[in-house]
Amino acid sequence: MTYQLTIEPLGETIPIREGQTVLDACLRNGIFIPYQCNHGLCSTCKITVLEGEVDLGDASPFALMDFERDDKRALACCARPMSDITIEADVDIDPDALYLPVNDVVGTVVGLVDLTHDIKGVTLEVPGDGLPFQAGQYVNLTVPGLDEPRAFSLANAPSKANFPELHVRRVKDGKGTGWVHHDLKVGDKVPLSGPLGRFYVRKSAANPMIFIAGGSGLSSPKAMIEDLLEEGWSGPITLFHGVRQARDLYFDGLFRELEAKHGNFTYVPVLSESDGTDGWTGETGFVHEAAIRRYDGVFKGNKAYLCGPPLMVEASIRALMKGRLFEHDIYTESFLTKADDNAKRSPLFQAI
Amino acid sequence: MSIADKSTAKPRKLGLKERYAHLTRGLGWETTYQPMSKVFPFTDYEGIKIHDWDKWQDPFRLTMDSYWKFQAEKERKLYAVIDSFAQNNGHLNITDARYVNAIKLFLTGVSPLEYSAHRGYAHVGRHFVGAGPRIACQMQAIDELRHAQTQIHTISHYNKFFDGLHDARHMHDHVWYLSVPKSFFEDACSAGPFEFLTAISFSFEYVLTSLLFVPFMSGAAYNGDMATVTFGFSAQSDEARHMTLGLEIIKFMLEQDEGNVPIVQRWIDKWFWRGYRLLTIVAMMMDYMLPKRVMSWAEAWEIYFEQGGGALFEDLSRYGIRMPKYHEVASKEKGRLSHEVWATFYNYTQATAFHTWIPEKDELDWLSAKYPETFDQLYRPRFEYWKEQSDQGKRFYNNVLPQLCVTCQIPMIFTEPDDPKTICFRSTLYKGERYHFCSDGCKDIFLYEPEKYIQSWLPVHQIYQGNCGGATVPEVLNWYHMSLGNDNMDYQGSPDETLWNEWTADRHKSAI
Repeated sequence: MTYQLTIEPLGETIPIREGQTVLDACLRNGIFIPYQCNHGLCSTCKITVLEGEVDLGDASPFALMDFERDDKRALACCARPMSDITIEADVDIDPDALYLPVNDVVGTVVGLVDLTHDIKGVTLEVPGDGLPFQAGQYVNLTVPGLDEPRAFSLANAPSKANFPELHVRRVKDGKGTGWVHHDLKVGDKVPLSGPLGRFYVRKSAANPMIFIAGGSGLSSPKAMIEDLLEEGWSGPITLFHGVRQARDLYFDGLFRELEAKHGNFTYVPVLSESDGTDGWTGETGFVHEAAIRRYDGVFKGNKAYLCGPPLMVEASIRALMKGRLFEHDIYTESFLTKADDNAKRSPLFQAI
Repeated sequence: MSIADKSTAKPRKLGLKERYAHLTRGLGWETTYQPMSKVFPFTDYEGIKIHDWDKWQDPFRLTMDSYWKFQAEKERKLYAVIDSFAQNNGHLNITDARYVNAIKLFLTGVSPLEYSAHRGYAHVGRHFVGAGPRIACQMQAIDELRHAQTQIHTISHYNKFFDGLHDARHMHDHVWYLSVPKSFFEDACSAGPFEFLTAISFSFEYVLTSLLFVPFMSGAAYNGDMATVTFGFSAQSDEARHMTLGLEIIKFMLEQDEGNVPIVQRWIDKWFWRGYRLLTIVAMMMDYMLPKRVMSWAEAWEIYFEQGGGALFEDLSRYGIRMPKYHEVASKEKGRLSHEVWATFYNYTQATAFHTWIPEKDELDWLSAKYPETFDQLYRPRFEYWKEQSDQGKRFYNNVLPQLCVTCQIPMIFTEPDDPKTICFRSTLYKGERYHFCSDGCKDIFLYEPEKYIQSWLPVHQIYQGNCGGATVPEVLNWYHMSLGNDNMDYQGSPDETLWNEWTADRHKSAI
């Protein structure tokens, strides 16, 4: 049995299973509620139940007082739904979030192209309203024969909502990506749900922007930058794209074109395995090292958007923090499930 | 519907943070009658630079009004439990009267620290420029007072029946081994406001708290002491705020200015080592004083510091903060710490306000199993020898006063990090005097602030100088407010034991 959980003041609605805690449902859906002990003793994760009924579970009488129980308070780490519920939680309000509703749509494959030797570009067509999203967000794609959907970032600008574009790197022995690379044909119907995720441009801040992408992590930054340039964003934008070799670069021509056309946009491709025989004259090494060189190690005053493999994201966070840019100004989309990541982390950081 | 329509469709509710910001706006203002530097005279001298106090994140956003409501209900619940514990003679349900000695150690060694914490937070709560940390410190100051008070009230029930609990406050200020926790806290309270929070909120409440509070409270639960368990729960409900203050002060200092990083690192190094040395009494309590044991000190160190702390310092390394200096020494000592300390208290049982004993055979077996690499090789033979001697009427007492480490004030009982058979001695000359230390960690701390530590009130020195009631054991015990033959010496033959045996004999009789 699954209920609907609506979280105020975000207004977002997510599914919650019977027996699942409110905290677990929120964390698994990318909504961070502050928490600490995770078993009803510390009261960090206190919420208010605005509508519906919850089972308060093992909340300690010292962590959740009687007068609070009367006032419909609950601890998210212990509370389990008994109906559809609406809660108010201590979540940060983000003026840049559009909180678009999640839709289930069916896309028809209209374009399949090899972007590199191991990345396939998939363009879908979704009729009607299409799939409105905020640049940077992702969709879940249902793959035949797999229980869990696969997540892919949307690479098209939001203005092309009828033509969602995905970049899919072939993962060795990966069932989902294998299906995209080998079985998917033009004309196939693909069920999608989205938009999902909280990775999007914080336009209200007006700071210069740094995008650091690794491999097929270019998809979100591509959507974000195309969106910004389309609407005439005039602040400085720098994109670092790190790949192994020249053959791994894609949309290289597009970004060089955009760079020539927009004085505020800088494109920095970086090769980590350039052997000197490929005639490459651009940046080499790890992508975060190129960023350090370009910024002379000082990142303060920027907003940084990181998208790519966990190791690249972590190395970039360290470089940025060393350059005095902190959690408040760093946004990440790591290709890793949140549940995997939480285990060995301390509560020092919440968003990065 | 387009995206633009959606974003303006319905006015959303104000978030909790926004509502609190409106509620508290203007509470921290720039003074005009007096310069800010005179109103807040302690904010600069430690070298910490703060550029924007508004960057302080306060996740709790508690108003004074709701604070009182919360604490009042916590008190009502706790005192209901304490009353019923007293009415039902709850002390009869503990596993064994030896357990009460852990409570004696807690009441004389830890509860007074709660009171010191109250004073420390009240002081720094006055001295921060930012309203966020000021409010957090002021609330914590009241919490700590409540903790001290509830602990005293809870434990006072045991004072009706057992020895050694009658004058904890006086003992804390006078007794030799209690100068260890006392001087630890006075070191923190006499530092600046930023160092105080690094010492107590971060190093103590966050990094090491699971190794202090949890073992005592789990020990209470395992040994049938439900009153102590309840004050543990009552206090733990405040700890989330306290731990958050610890994390926030560190993040705040590290993000505000690059120049703060080395200062914070030095404080973390210092207070890790100070806190770790303070925990030696917990190690001993866990391995020797609980009739029913929870886990070994070595296991606790691995879980709470090596794993839990490891994750924290991995995250902190993003700021350029490394693991505390000498953390590897602490890990090398985990297999010997409790044994070295219990042996010391056994040696000086004539001057302790709790009872000591040689572990029973099954307890020695437990220690052998928990410490397979050290206990049988190094410590078990010694305890068995002392037992043998004692059985022959030759119970060993150490009548020589020990040399103390100037920094942590613990007797020089610890061994070389890489050689558990050699006592670790360190010393330095300062202004023509030689000062002695138990470890490189304690020596480093002294060398950075020698003028602070040469003022240490070292119990052994004070006894020799004639400041502690006299030159004989009875005179000093009298000065400690300890009753010879009641509060001190072995559990075997103590009034505590006699009373406990009577009670349990009655219980057996009535069962028949």
